[in-house]
Order: sequence, then C-alpha cells, then structure tokens
Amino acid sequence: MGSSSSSMDHIPNAEELMQETGFSAAHLLRLYERFEFLDKDQTGELRPEDFGAIGGLALNPIGDRIISAFFSPGQETVDFPSFVRVLAHFRPNGTNRTRNGTQQEPVNSRTRKLKFAFQLYDQDRDGKISRAELLQVLRAMLGIQVTEEQLQSIAERAIQEADLDRDDAISFDEFKKVQQVSPHPQTPTKETPLHPTEGGR
Amino acid sequence: TFHKYLDPSGFGKSLPEQGLLLLVVLVLLEGSVLPLGAASSPDVSHQDDSHNHKVADHGVNATKKVFPVLDVDYHHIQTPFEISLWVLLASLMKLGFHLIPRLSSIVPESCLLIVVGLLVGGLIKLAGEQVPPVLDSRLFFLCLLPPIILDAGYFLPIRPFMENVGTILMFAVVGTVWNAFFVGGLLYAVCQIQPANPSSLHSIELLHCLLFGSIISAVDPVAVLAVFEEIHINELLHILVFGESLLNDAVTVVLYHLFVEYAGVGTVTVMDGFLGVISFLVVALGGVLVGAIYGILAAFTSRFTSHTRVIEPLFVFVYSYMAYLSAEMFHLSGIMALIACGAVMRPYVEANISHKSHTTIKYFLKMWSSVSETLIFIFLGVATVDGPHSWNWTFVTVTVILCLVARVIGVVGLTYIINKFRIVKLTTKDQFIVAYGGLRGAIAFSLGFLLDQNQFAHRKMFLTAIITVIFFTVFVQGMTIKPLVELLAVKKKQEAKRSINEEIHTQFLDHLLTGIEDICGHYGHHHWKDKLNRFNKKYVKKCLIAGERSKEPQLIAFYHKMEMKQAIELVESGGGVKLPSAVPSTVSMQNIQPKKPPPAKAAERALPQLPKGREEEIRKILRSNLQRTRQRLRSYNRHTLVADPYEDGFSDLLIKKQKMIELEKKMNNYLTVPAAPPDSPTMCRARLASDPQAYSMKPVSDSVPVIQVDLASPQSPDSVNVMDEFRRANQEEDQGLMMKPPQGSSGSNKPGEADTTRDQQRLMRCLSDPGPSADEDEDEPFLP
Repeated sequence: MGSSSSSMDHIPNAEELMQETGFSAAHLLRLYERFEFLDKDQTGELRPEDFGAIGGLALNPIGDRIISAFFSPGQETVDFPSFVRVLAHFRPNGTNRTRNGTQQEPVNSRTRKLKFAFQLYDQDRDGKISRAELLQVLRAMLGIQVTEEQLQSIAERAIQEADLDRDDAISFDEFKKVQQVSPHPQTPTKETPLHPTEGGR
Repeated sequence: TFHKYLDPSGFGKSLPEQGLLLLVVLVLLEGSVLPLGAASSPDVSHQDDSHNHKVADHGVNATKKVFPVLDVDYHHIQTPFEISLWVLLASLMKLGFHLIPRLSSIVPESCLLIVVGLLVGGLIKLAGEQVPPVLDSRLFFLCLLPPIILDAGYFLPIRPFMENVGTILMFAVVGTVWNAFFVGGLLYAVCQIQPANPSSLHSIELLHCLLFGSIISAVDPVAVLAVFEEIHINELLHILVFGESLLNDAVTVVLYHLFVEYAGVGTVTVMDGFLGVISFLVVALGGVLVGAIYGILAAFTSRFTSHTRVIEPLFVFVYSYMAYLSAEMFHLSGIMALIACGAVMRPYVEANISHKSHTTIKYFLKMWSSVSETLIFIFLGVATVDGPHSWNWTFVTVTVILCLVARVIGVVGLTYIINKFRIVKLTTKDQFIVAYGGLRGAIAFSLGFLLDQNQFAHRKMFLTAIITVIFFTVFVQGMTIKPLVELLAVKKKQEAKRSINEEIHTQFLDHLLTGIEDICGHYGHHHWKDKLNRFNKKYVKKCLIAGERSKEPQLIAFYHKMEMKQAIELVESGGGVKLPSAVPSTVSMQNIQPKKPPPAKAAERALPQLPKGREEEIRKILRSNLQRTRQRLRSYNRHTLVADPYEDGFSDLLIKKQKMIELEKKMNNYLTVPAAPPDSPTMCRARLASDPQAYSMKPVSDSVPVIQVDLASPQSPDSVNVMDEFRRANQEEDQGLMMKPPQGSSGSNKPGEADTTRDQQRLMRCLSDPGPSADEDEDEPFLP
C-alpha cells in the first residue's frame, strides 16, 4: 500500500486520534486515504455532496441519515478527525488500544454503538424515538410497496412492544432493553466489520 | 383390577409401567414374527410348488379338494409387512421412551434406540434365525438418510449459517482432512510397530489405513442432530457442529472414492492428490449446483399451484429427492445437493403455498425424519449383533483414542487460526463443545459396509472398530454432553420470541452497515449481501413468486405472521371469548378494505338460520364473557327487554365498562389488520383460503357497523368510538340473539351480530390447528 511513516505526518494529531479511537496506524492511514479520495475538491473537509457521490449510498434507504450522522448539528463540513471518530463506533469490541487508562467509556463500547444507532432513528435528537420518527424509518426502508395503514400498524406494534413507560415513544433505555433480549449476532456489539486492512473479507 | 386403571390417582403411576409392559410385549412380538417370516417363506415356496403340482394334477385327475376357507399366505405380503413392522416397532419404541419420564432425560434417545436394536437383534439370533441385513447400504443411503437431511436443510437457519460459513467450512474441510490423515497415518504406524506376534495388523497397507481414517473421521449429521436437539445449546455452537457435519460429506465422498480407487493399485502420486483436490471442488460445488437447480425448479413449479393446493407438498418432497438422487448419480455430494435444494427453494415456495401446505410440509418432514432416525439407530443395534466381527484390541482401542485426540487437536488448532478472522471469537468452552460434539454415526458404518471383502481383507476388523467408535461417541459422549453443558454453564438457546422491534432493527442495521462499508470503500460482507438482496428482489422474486406477493417486503410478511399468531393465540386461549363477540371478528375481518373503493353492492345478505345448538353455544360464550348469566335466563321477552342499570347486574356493568376501556386500548393496537391488497398471501391465510367455508370479502353495506380504528389519531373524526359499539352490542344482547332474517331497519344491527358470532365460530374452528407452533426457529423470516 505504499504506506510509509512520512505519510502519517500528513494526518493532523495522528497519535491523539489513535488513542482516542483505538484505530491502529495502518487503519488510520487507510481511512485517511479514503478521506482524501472522497474529498474531491481537496479542501480537507467533506461536504454532504461528497458523500452523495458514493454510488451505493444513494440506493441505501437510510443513506441520507447516515450521511447526516457525520455532521454535527449546525456544521456544514466534516474534517478528518470527526470522520474517524464516527467510524470508530464500528470497531469491534474488546480490542482497545488506549494506552493510558482513560476512565471514560471507549468509543466502541456496546452502549456507544447503540447510542449511535439510536441517534439515527431519532433525527430531532430529543432522546426519544417518536411514532412519527419510527414511521419515517419504516417508510424509508419499506418503500412504496406498502400502504400507509400497514406502516402505521407496524409502528404501533413496535412502540407497543418496546414502550414500557407508556409515553408513546421509545427512549434510549427501552431501545437498549429490546436489543438486549436477543443475543442476535447482528447487534452492534458483534457485527462491526470494519477491518479496512482486511481487504475483501 | 380394572379399578387400578380407573382410579385417577393410580392412573399416573400405572402409565409408565404400562409403557414398559407394552415395550416388552412388542419386542417379543417383533422377535417372534421375524423368524416366523423367515421360516415360513421356504415353507410357503414349498407349498407353492406343491400347489402347482396339485394344479397340474388337478387338470389330469380333477380330484375335489376342500375349499380353503382360511388360508395363510405370508409370502405374498412379506416384504411390505416386515417393513411396516419395523417402522411400527420404531415408532412404538419412541412412544414408549417418552412415557418413561426419567429415562428420557438421562439417556439420549439415540442410545436407547441402539439398545433396543441390540435387543431385537439378540432375540432374532436367539430364535436361531438369520438376522436380516437391515443396514444395507443402499437402503440406508437411498431411503433412510434423505428425509433427515431434507428436514435439516429445509429448516436450516440461513442467517446464522451464512454468517459462520467460513468457520464451518474450515472445520468441515480442513478438519476432516486432518482427522483422516492423522488417524490413518498413526494407525498405520502403530500397526507396523506391533510386536511381531502373528498379528494380522502388519499386513495392513497404508492406503487401507487412510481409507479407514477417512471413513471414521466424518462427523455424522444424524447423530449430531439426535444429541444436540436434546441439549438446547446456543445457536452458534449448534450451527457450527451441525453445519460441519453436513458439509463434510463432500470431503468424505472424495476421500473415500479416492482411496478405494487407489487402494487396489497401491500407490498414490502427487498427480492423484491434485486430482483429488479438483475432484473435491467438483463434488462440493457440483452438488450445490444440482441442488440449487432443482430448488429453483421447485420454486418455479410452486408458482402455479394455486389451483391444486393439495399436491403442493409433494413437489417439495419429490424435487428434493430427485436432487439427491441426481447428485448421487454423478457421485457428487448428495447431502449438499439436498441442503442446497431445500435452502434455495424455501423462501419462494413458502411465499407461494397455502398455510395448510406449509403445515403439511413441516409435519411430514418432521415425521419422516423422526422415523428415519429411529430406524437408523435401531438398525445399528441389530447390525451390531449380526455383523461379522473381528475384534482386535490394539486396533480398536488405538482407533478410539486417536479419533478423540485428532478431534481435539484439530478443533483447537483450527480455532486458533479461525479466531484471527472472526469478530465473535470462539472461547475455550465453545471449542470444547465443538470437539466433544463430534459424534460418529451410521454413515461411517454404511461406508464401511460398502467395502468389498475381497479387496479389503480387514473389512471385518474395520467394521468392528467403526461400530466401537460409534458406540463410544454416541453412548459416552452423547450421555455426558448434557451434564457437561450444564456444568460448564454453556449458553443455552434463547427462547425469546423475535419481536417486531428486532426485525426492524436488524434490517436497519443491515442498511447502516452497508452504508458504512460504502463510505469506507470496503467491499465487505454486507456489500455483497446487499447486492444479492437487490438482485433477488428485482429479478428472481418476480420469476418465482406468483402474482402480487412478489412485491411484499419481508417485514410486512413477518408482521402479518406475528399478528396471525397472536390472533390465533388469543382465540385459542379463550381470549376471543373474553372479548365481546361483536368486536374481534368485525374489526379483524371486516377491515379488509381494498385500496380501491369497494364495489357498491347494495344487496342484502341473506342470513342463515342458526340451528338451536349453535345458538346455545353462542349464548354460552356471551354468557361467560359478559357475566350476564342470570339476565338472559330470566328474560323471556327478548324483543323488549332493555338493560336496566338498576338491576342487580349493575356491578357487572361496571366491571364490563372497565374491561371495555382496557380492551379499547388493546384493540387499537392488536386487532386491526390493516388493509392489504386482496391477494397478499397473508390475507389469503387470514381468509383461510383453503377452507371451504372461507370468509369471502363482503361488500361494505351501510347496515353493517364497520369499526374503523384509525391508528394515527384515536380522536380523528373517522374513528368510531369502540365503546359505543360495545354498548350497542350489549343492548343487542338484552334483546337476545336474533337469528332471523333482517326485518327492515330493526334488523340493522343484528346482521352484524349474527355474522360476527358466526365468524367467531368459524374463526375458532378454522384456526384450531395452528400447526407445530412450538418451534420458533422455523418461523424465522428469510433474511438471507
């Protein structure tokens, strides 16, 4: 891959980033190269349009949500550290390379991952997934093939199942509890595939 | 003595004893009939000859014979009779074991069945007759094995399987090859260094040893299924061991044929080895391809079966069996073909066939595989008693030890490598269970049985060793694995039902991870899965699934399934009785509004007269339901009696009001089946299409109180207040049930009432058999 230690110098605050996110040097470099690739106009920052240029994302039903997850509220652009920080959520559990024993929770812990997913549902960031937000997600995922009533009854049922304090919305704790019921390998704790250096795996 | 059976307290105690008695009687019966069968056949044939002579004489002499009023002609029906007798024995044994509660929890069924086989074989031998060669390889591979494998393949949980396919393949291929060579090689070495007593062991060739190694090293799916089914281990381990046992068939086939071919010649060159590898790829991929082709054919056929629902299950079975046979014809891996066929056809077939066909397939597969499994184990026992044995302490003990050692080393070594690539690592406990669960079974025995005695001088010794290993693994490992699982506190299977939240979230995560992969430019797992899904949706589903259903997304199908299940449970548990009869059927059934405006038929529906008995039934339901018992009995003038709140039923009324409030809430959430295109399979199932008295969509006429519950806003102007409906219905009741045809306007509410109660009955009757619902696994949605 032609990665030499000098390329690492291009990355601002590389050491700090590595410690914070737990990515290894090789991973970081790979991500930096990808960042530069996406950054078509070489500004050092990404815009939503740059993300939109990725083909697969356009077809993805929740593509726009994923893109907006990279941008903090109010920000128009994403710089490299923020880019990496978001992606750090998807590192597998357990392999934390933090050198100093930080007291704060590692970025890729189960809770943080679930929180990330939760925020994708909860667009208005009020800490709850309301029925309307759930409906939006369902509509996006299921597309035009279903009727409005079907969507609503599914949303209704989902809230019925998860909502324990009967406030007609799913809070983060309720969300966590539902996911905890099944140790299905698809929960964010286990299914986080990103080993960029692994190539095609 | 009769009292003993009639006495309720004594009955429970006598049941296991009865079971035991039954068992003994049957074994004796079995033992006695078979020799009779064997013995009588020469007699009968003799009789036949003499009979022929007599006929010939008859023509000449025309002597009058006494007309045989009762004649025994066993020979005529011998073969089917014996087969049926064996099947009957197997099934009764199974019955018997479960009547004896303690036994079945300590000893796994497979062990018990082998013991029974031993007993039967022993009995037959005692009777002096020749034991029928029951575990004939052809019978085994062509009749007994396919149902089990098809059952496993059709209900294979695709998602866990695919997620772990790399690990499974490693274990299956590399592990089996390692086992074969390790066992074979070391065995040869041990045989060679035998002290030179006139042990025949010296004469064993290397290739023969390797052949033996390859036979004995394959983990057996039948045995694994039999044992693991009872220990309810967590999904990951189950799929690992089970998947391995299925996929190693290809390896076994190739190694077996390779060594058999070249054992005669005596040498294997590098070229042969290379060809062996190619052959493996051909066998494995070829098998899968054959299976997939038949699977697609089956799916395609099922698209057109909407008019002949009765034979739908047949297509599934026949296509799968033909896939197996075709693969076997080309010496490809039949097991893999069968698995591929079942797994490929399932999503499409299930979208096409009726609910009852689905149940039929499920039941039949379970039944056949169960009988097959039982028979296999019993035959193993019988064959042990019968089979030509040649016991050699060294050979056998070394084999057993080597098998264990090889397995452990193989698993540990492979796990070390695999864990570098896995996200969810395999812990030591997992490794132990995987190693310990490597059971050998009847496949090994049949393969050994197939060996030619002339070519392989040590066949008998091989067979003895194989049987010993099988017995060891099934008895020792099979019996102890359950306590060990408990001891090691291995994670058990989660019994939790899949909730709709999980479903939504799983799909959501899939999309999320695919998106992230795209951002990273990483063509991983999810990327390809997503591409496959898209391809599937766009092209394949259109071809293979009939009509409208091809567009129905999985989530919807899953949701409807859940609702159906819940409705069934509600009705079965008497929940349908608890709710006022007017509401459930009306809401759930009549809310089927097609998207297009309903045809404007104003025709009155003629109401059938309910027979007296039915009326009484309905009244009983309503009675218990709303606690208006005394009211109804007392009211003789049904036409005019109005609910008097100051009667002593007032408290009842209050309770009812409370219930109604709760119910309204529940109702809004559970019992609405939203409008769906009329042809969607779930609507068909809701309509119970194959039921002759199926509810057909009625035109929505004004006189019927259709309750439309608008979920989005309970206070919307469109929504009818459910409470009002209840009140109206109750007032109805005080007038009693009017089962006469509508008399103009006074009958406006009654048709609804009568209809719904009739529907209620129909609903309860039709939904009374929800099929084997206990097993959640098979009802997983087909997320690939």
